[in-house]
Amino acid sequence: MNRILLVARRDYLQTILSKAYLIGLVIVPILIGGSFLVTSIAMRGNAKNQRVAIIDHTGVAASAVIQAAEEASRRPLVNAPNGLRVTPHFVFEEVKPEADETAQLLALSGRVRRGELYLIIDISADALHPSSDPAKELVHFYSNSSGVDQSGFSLPAAVNDGLRRVRLSQVGLDARAPDILRDVPVVSMNLVTKDPATGNIVRAEKKNPVQAVVPVFLTILLLMVVLFGAAPHLGAVAEDKMQRVFEMLLCSASSFELMMGKVLASVGTSLTSSIFYVIGGLAVLAGMAVFGLAPLNLLPWFFVYLIADVVMLSAWSVALGSACSTPQDAQSLAFLLVVPVMIPMLLLNPVMQQPNGALATAMSFVPPFTPMIMLLRQAMPGGVPWWEPWLGLAGMTVFAAAVVWAAARIFRIGILSQGKAPKIAELAEWVVRG
Amino acid sequence: MGLPSPRQYWDRAASEKTVRWRARLPASDSILIVSAVEISDVNKSFGDVIAVDHLSLTVPEGSVYGFIGPNGSGKSTTMRMIANIFYPDSGTIQVFGQTRSGTRSAEIGYLPEERGVYRKMKVRALLEFYGKLRGGRDVTAQVNSWLERLGLKNRADDKVETLSKGMSQKVQFIATIIPEPKLLILDEPFTGLDPVSADSIRGAVIEMRKRGCTVILSTHDMGVAESLCDSIFMIFRGKKVLDGSLASIQASYGSDTIRVEIEGGSSALNDLPGIERINDLGQVQELRMTQGCDPQQVLRTLAARARMAAFAVVQPSLHDIFVRIAGPQPEEASIE
Repeated sequence: MNRILLVARRDYLQTILSKAYLIGLVIVPILIGGSFLVTSIAMRGNAKNQRVAIIDHTGVAASAVIQAAEEASRRPLVNAPNGLRVTPHFVFEEVKPEADETAQLLALSGRVRRGELYLIIDISADALHPSSDPAKELVHFYSNSSGVDQSGFSLPAAVNDGLRRVRLSQVGLDARAPDILRDVPVVSMNLVTKDPATGNIVRAEKKNPVQAVVPVFLTILLLMVVLFGAAPHLGAVAEDKMQRVFEMLLCSASSFELMMGKVLASVGTSLTSSIFYVIGGLAVLAGMAVFGLAPLNLLPWFFVYLIADVVMLSAWSVALGSACSTPQDAQSLAFLLVVPVMIPMLLLNPVMQQPNGALATAMSFVPPFTPMIMLLRQAMPGGVPWWEPWLGLAGMTVFAAAVVWAAARIFRIGILSQGKAPKIAELAEWVVRG
Repeated sequence: MGLPSPRQYWDRAASEKTVRWRARLPASDSILIVSAVEISDVNKSFGDVIAVDHLSLTVPEGSVYGFIGPNGSGKSTTMRMIANIFYPDSGTIQVFGQTRSGTRSAEIGYLPEERGVYRKMKVRALLEFYGKLRGGRDVTAQVNSWLERLGLKNRADDKVETLSKGMSQKVQFIATIIPEPKLLILDEPFTGLDPVSADSIRGAVIEMRKRGCTVILSTHDMGVAESLCDSIFMIFRGKKVLDGSLASIQASYGSDTIRVEIEGGSSALNDLPGIERINDLGQVQELRMTQGCDPQQVLRTLAARARMAAFAVVQPSLHDIFVRIAGPQPEEASIE
């Protein structure tokens, strides 16, 4: 045990005192914060006036569409008390349809390319009488931007609103009547719960946008610190092997002691990083006056999952590194390390949509995915049955122990092997043969 | 009947597979011959390649044992098996009387062929780490002492990667000998070193031996093997081909070599009767005589052809013996 601790201490200090680690520790939150800042600035940039041309083939809808769009643009957005505008303000220009529609569209497209126009709205003559066939296209937006842009969020609703007003007036209803087109505010609520201690029913609270961010933040944080803690072993072990360091160390410590020392160092590095980030996250929540949204009850689970995941992944990383003889070998085997943590990331959205659905529940019991998916499910409003995290943890612990065992067998052979990197089948053979 | 030589004692110890035995000597004298390493019928293969083939060897305690052999002959594999880094496929290896499979201790210091240290670490921190890992105790005093003796005290707080090759080798050597192992295994410790650095390490090896440490070292420098080693073991294609003191090895080849210094170049040696091989060392030439050749006849023939500064009948050098064993055989040479 002493030797494991000695190796762990050396590796841990070597890592956390390196410039790369210290810079990475600070630069990651700066990059994340910076991306939010850039997005915010970019959105403000889009809030300037944007000129929109409307070609109205119905002959009666343009003014109603323009009116609906301008009314929509005056509504307060996301209850922003200071009236911060994050969507563009559209200035409309009605263009009479010409006989040669294609030539007209080409001319207007040229104006868009030159930056004189932001968007062209082409309303077909049948737009006031839409058929039940959803494939029939009645309104087209022509723009120079990507498929997802600001106009895609607000203008379609305004166009439909305007067309609806025209239709209502055509059947004799006054669309200007006070309530006829007014939106009804829809408020998202959490579920009603029952206090297990008192038996009292606890009223549901309004959902807070930050509430949706917290589970994702926790999951991404877990992914990040696990990868940062485990992945460096891949290259570092390969380099130590090239330098013949293990040959000297093997005289003093067994291969298992060397490997476990490295695994323990990874646990220490990941804990150090995560404590730094968790404290930072809590400080941000406190600064935003929403400290109550901090999932303090999940933090013990976060750290338990973190340790299990780092043990599993770093043992695997050390084993893969030991099988490499060059940095190029390490790069080619990196995908074997990344896959176990990237699959849960691909499942984030479906799990968040239905945290207790069959897919989310099943995947949260697959050991390599348990830490991230189970944690995400636990962090969602409503949580999971109490026994599920314990069962998931038991499975994860057994799996991590199996990975450590297999990794030790690969490591023992790998650190003294020479030549080209083994294939996956050969690694499996090393595990079996020992 | 005279007393057996130490070599004979060791051979007997090997044959009887005993680690310790006491030789009865006349009167009150008695000596205790103790084996530091006892290798018995060891085999080791890597895939289809046989690295070590039925090897038996006894290394007496307190000796300096030189391992020689061509590249890839099995020296390093044998050393790694003694250091417990590789396990033999069959046979046994005992170190100080114990079969060491899977066990580690501070008794063995192993210096792999070049490198073997964390290049990003500072010298002092590295040595203390290696020392603690092997010995389980604080080694600060020994580290300071060795750093001073090998002239590295002023580089103690520098990273290993900033040191020259010679300095790195010294650091690696210190890491190996802390904390004072009983068995020191050095795989080509002098390779690439300048004479000053080589002398430093040679001095340290001699000092370790004086303290009772058994030293096994491999080298391609036959001069080092001849001057530093009590016994020499040569392995070729995995098999033991030489084992004994330099004198006994040379004696087994007899005085079949003539060493001459010819004035005016070695052309006078061409087609010399009774000579089967000429080894031109530049200023000196070594002539290997055929069996039954009369050196006096060679002397007369040479004297008739050229002036000589020196002529001596000697035993073959270790270099010559090495080449005789590992050099291309006549049929191989003709193929090449």
